[in-house]
Amino acid sequence: MSAVAIVGVGQTPYRRSHKDLSSRELIWSAAKEALDDAGMGIDEIDLVVAGVAPDALAGEASVERSGMMGKGKPFVRVNTGGVTGSSTVFAGASYIKAGRAKAVLVFALERMGQATTSQQVFNTIFDPVYEKDFPLTTITMAALRASMLMRLYGYTDRHWAEIASRNYRNALRNPLAHLHLDVTPEDVLESPLLAWPIHRYEACPMSEGACAMVLVSKDRVRTRTPVWIQGYASTSDSYAMGDRIHRPGATLVDLLSLRLSAERAYKEAAVTDPRSEIRVVELYSAFSSAEAMAYPALGFCNAADGPRFVESQLTDPSLPVFNPSGGPQGANPVSATAMVRIAECALQVRGTAGDRQVDGVERAVATGQGGATQFSTVCVLGKDLVH
Amino acid sequence: MSQSDLITIPGHWSFDYTYFAGEAATRFFRELAENRRIMGTKCPACKRVLVPARAFCDACMERTDEWIEVGPEGTLETFTIITTAFPGLPEPPIVMAYVTLDRADTALINLVLGEDLSDIEQAAKRLNSQPRVVARFIDDPKGRITDFSFELLLQRGGV
Repeated sequence: MSAVAIVGVGQTPYRRSHKDLSSRELIWSAAKEALDDAGMGIDEIDLVVAGVAPDALAGEASVERSGMMGKGKPFVRVNTGGVTGSSTVFAGASYIKAGRAKAVLVFALERMGQATTSQQVFNTIFDPVYEKDFPLTTITMAALRASMLMRLYGYTDRHWAEIASRNYRNALRNPLAHLHLDVTPEDVLESPLLAWPIHRYEACPMSEGACAMVLVSKDRVRTRTPVWIQGYASTSDSYAMGDRIHRPGATLVDLLSLRLSAERAYKEAAVTDPRSEIRVVELYSAFSSAEAMAYPALGFCNAADGPRFVESQLTDPSLPVFNPSGGPQGANPVSATAMVRIAECALQVRGTAGDRQVDGVERAVATGQGGATQFSTVCVLGKDLVH
Repeated sequence: MSQSDLITIPGHWSFDYTYFAGEAATRFFRELAENRRIMGTKCPACKRVLVPARAFCDACMERTDEWIEVGPEGTLETFTIITTAFPGLPEPPIVMAYVTLDRADTALINLVLGEDLSDIEQAAKRLNSQPRVVARFIDDPKGRITDFSFELLLQRGGV
């Protein structure tokens, strides 16, 4: 099986809306930048994989049609909710590992700037038989978990506020981020309460934009600077949130799918001590409480030590740097967000992340989180070829 | 080109659908409407009583056709108090919670009514202590999940 390298990255800026670009122009703009970055033309690409989550966010069905580029190539669309972006990368990487392609263009588009509201659309992703009559949305879904985290482990709204503030302040150094706000933890706590315990500034914004990458097999790297995909795993779990409440060791707030993804991706990447072997972590956590839920699943602490870990990761320089890009609180182009995490890690490993560059990044980890947390992905990227 | 010079085209999605509940949910809804009972189905493999009732256990892939009445009392596991209005969604404040009904192994979501929400933090404190609740049916059940909602049972000592 061939190793897989990222040799090209392209991202549009993430904004509330891009009125100057149609959907196809958004895709083209990111894809062209990724191809230019790789020094490749579209004719050298064997396969295009497109990632778009719910069509209703854009009000355009099958919007991936705008991403048909070149001619005579296989084309695949992926939709796994919030992990659409990473699943798209993994699909492309799997074709290369299987020897079915040598060079793959992957892109993910979020066009939700065309929507006037997202929460009404998000209500339609829940079960129409037993759930759609209730105001279940991405916000209330996160709130139901945050209350449980507070009850079980003693998190306070101060923990959520500290995480959110750090993410916003990191986004100040990222010109691609949608929000550039110098938000203090006090600002977070004083922002309007959306759904207890979630305040507005603990939630991600509605952003749109496109992200694209070029993946190649080892023999196609040639003179390019590779960022190696050292390990990747995608794991699913029961959709029913209520079924997970009593599951021993894998409750609603234990993120079983993220833990299993991390274990599998770390094993493939030969990571044995994530706290010391990973320098940068880009998390798909659309809410700061969801970020706290990810730390134990990724092996950085025990669940019970979560609140203390939140406190120490803000001050202890020996711990990994979380979300140097600002993460989804800086920009959350839903369909693309999980790919943006991988792209940002690739830039960090390559040392081309501009003002948000972290020193000495040999290895970085990107996560994806989707649906009612029934999908999680983990991708380990590094300078060295592991296998 | 300036933002105001850029052309935008209005769009609107509005389609009507009929959602098919299937046989298991149909029986669950009939039990609500005709007998005011909340039913679960038991998995023959993992022995969990799944509520609301369903045709199969997605963990074991087994058909679940043993019907068991659960509740009407139960324990509130986790909740949120919706305090901000969003277009197209019901007006706040709304309390929504996952409740494990007695004899059930899973929790189901529904609204919690009758809470004093004049002080949100106080209400949250009360709700986040796993209080006991009871399912209350509406006067005229229609065979929908909205035929009942939850209400906190008064604790001894009257909290």
